[in-house]
Amino acid sequence: MVSGTDLAFWTLAAIAIVSGWRVFRTDSMVRSAFLLLLSFIAVGLIMLLLRAPYLGVATIFMMGVEMMVMALFMVMFMMNPAGLNPMNMVHQERFAIVAGVLAFAGLAAAVWLTDLPHHPLVAGRPVIRELGMELLGRSMLIFETAGVTLLATMIGTVVLSSRSGRFGPADAGSLPPTMTPGGMPAGRIPKKRSGGHGGHGGHAPSAASPTAGEPAHGHANDHPHQPPEHHA
Amino acid sequence: MPWLGTLVLLGGSVVFVAVIDSLAFALIAQRPPVNLMRDALLAPWRAVAVSLVRQQNRTEHPDRLNWALAPALYLALAGIGLAVVPLAPGVAVIDAPTTVVLWGAVETLTVIAVFLHGWSANAPLPLIGAYRYAAMGLPIMLLSMFVLIGTALPAQSLSVVDIVASQHDVWNVLRQPLGLFLFLLLGLSLSLRGPFDYADSADLAGGTAGEVSGAARLTWQLARHAMLVAFAAMASSAFLGGYLGPVRAGPWWLALKMLVLITLLVGAGHSLARLPPSRMLTVLWTVLLPLAFLDLAQAGVVALW
Repeated sequence: MVSGTDLAFWTLAAIAIVSGWRVFRTDSMVRSAFLLLLSFIAVGLIMLLLRAPYLGVATIFMMGVEMMVMALFMVMFMMNPAGLNPMNMVHQERFAIVAGVLAFAGLAAAVWLTDLPHHPLVAGRPVIRELGMELLGRSMLIFETAGVTLLATMIGTVVLSSRSGRFGPADAGSLPPTMTPGGMPAGRIPKKRSGGHGGHGGHAPSAASPTAGEPAHGHANDHPHQPPEHHA
Repeated sequence: MPWLGTLVLLGGSVVFVAVIDSLAFALIAQRPPVNLMRDALLAPWRAVAVSLVRQQNRTEHPDRLNWALAPALYLALAGIGLAVVPLAPGVAVIDAPTTVVLWGAVETLTVIAVFLHGWSANAPLPLIGAYRYAAMGLPIMLLSMFVLIGTALPAQSLSVVDIVASQHDVWNVLRQPLGLFLFLLLGLSLSLRGPFDYADSADLAGGTAGEVSGAARLTWQLARHAMLVAFAAMASSAFLGGYLGPVRAGPWWLALKMLVLITLLVGAGHSLARLPPSRMLTVLWTVLLPLAFLDLAQAGVVALW
């Protein structure tokens, strides 16, 4: 006799596994991130079936944010315009196969060998309260304060290190890498003085001579042998 | 029958959103007052009819599956968001101990639905709308969660049913006045409206919906209206006492508060200007998020009092 809960569990488990497999078979970073999210949502719903209301919903909530941010970062750091070009999602295949088989065998063995508890949950038990006490106990206030402080620190770091920060352009004095060994720095070399008014994040600092240490505010015109403007 | 009540509330309020939307536009554009009301009442149905007979648009190599699923996901999320709101004491479609967290999940998945809607079209302007919305949607969602946790403090519960019940004596808008203002910004963002419409705005020629026509566009617009309705229900319940009222608590009070909030948000959407994205990001991270911290701290002090 198969109950509705059993049916829901097997369906969700199948969704979690199939979408987890598709993460590596799809050809796009964005699709792969959201397939992983689908897998996590199925796992979160299984947690709800296990009467873990906070952990289940929190998994869906946190993974939603996380996968959105992950998709954005992957697209930002990969040389793949807007994440639209097809690309292979698998690399280091031999190592990955060995690691995957070992991890699966280890986890499966742990599941088989563990004596899993069989206490049905008493109705009306305050599980969320007990989870909070179990996780944080008397350190709740410290933890919450630290969480907000860490977030404020992160925002402060981004504000201070972003280019238009209050201490001037963050990339002042830095040079883009060269395209050829010993060659000129890549990127567009501005004719007139740049900097002073931030907001043009894409501009390379004035880099007429490869001698480093030239501040961004330097006058490119002062150098006699200024190279012709070229685009990377 | 919370199902039926919620569906009636959703259907009625979506029509109200559509009518008040065209009425507000006509009033702000100073159309001649002849037939103003009749035009506003008919305009949504005209738009529906036009959408249904228009052919579907095609782009080059779209992600068909996600493009078709995004409007459905958006609409489903609006339905889930409305389902956590109680219509009467203890009567909600989804009555779980963590419905506030579930609402948070609805907010995050909305960002993903809008992003996928723009990304899947494989066209420049929808793509810009998608990335722009993701950059805005995440910080707005973050501050809304701080504000919502503030409303959970006096209730000592993560359930929306308990949060409404905790406002029996005094509404949360009086306990944490900053909270409602910050939360209303989320409503504009979730339903892609006015100053927080960075996804579907006119400066991107329709943004994520720019390449969509026909029934898919109709579903998308319907989902936007439904999300505004779900948001109004949540804001009424979290800050204005939901179904509570001076006499005879019941769904009518919730509906009344929702209509007021919807009118306010639609009016704001039509009359407030949109900041350039970079400036809006600065405002969000350096002004509004610290305000949300302040609101949370103040709510905590009041709850301990």
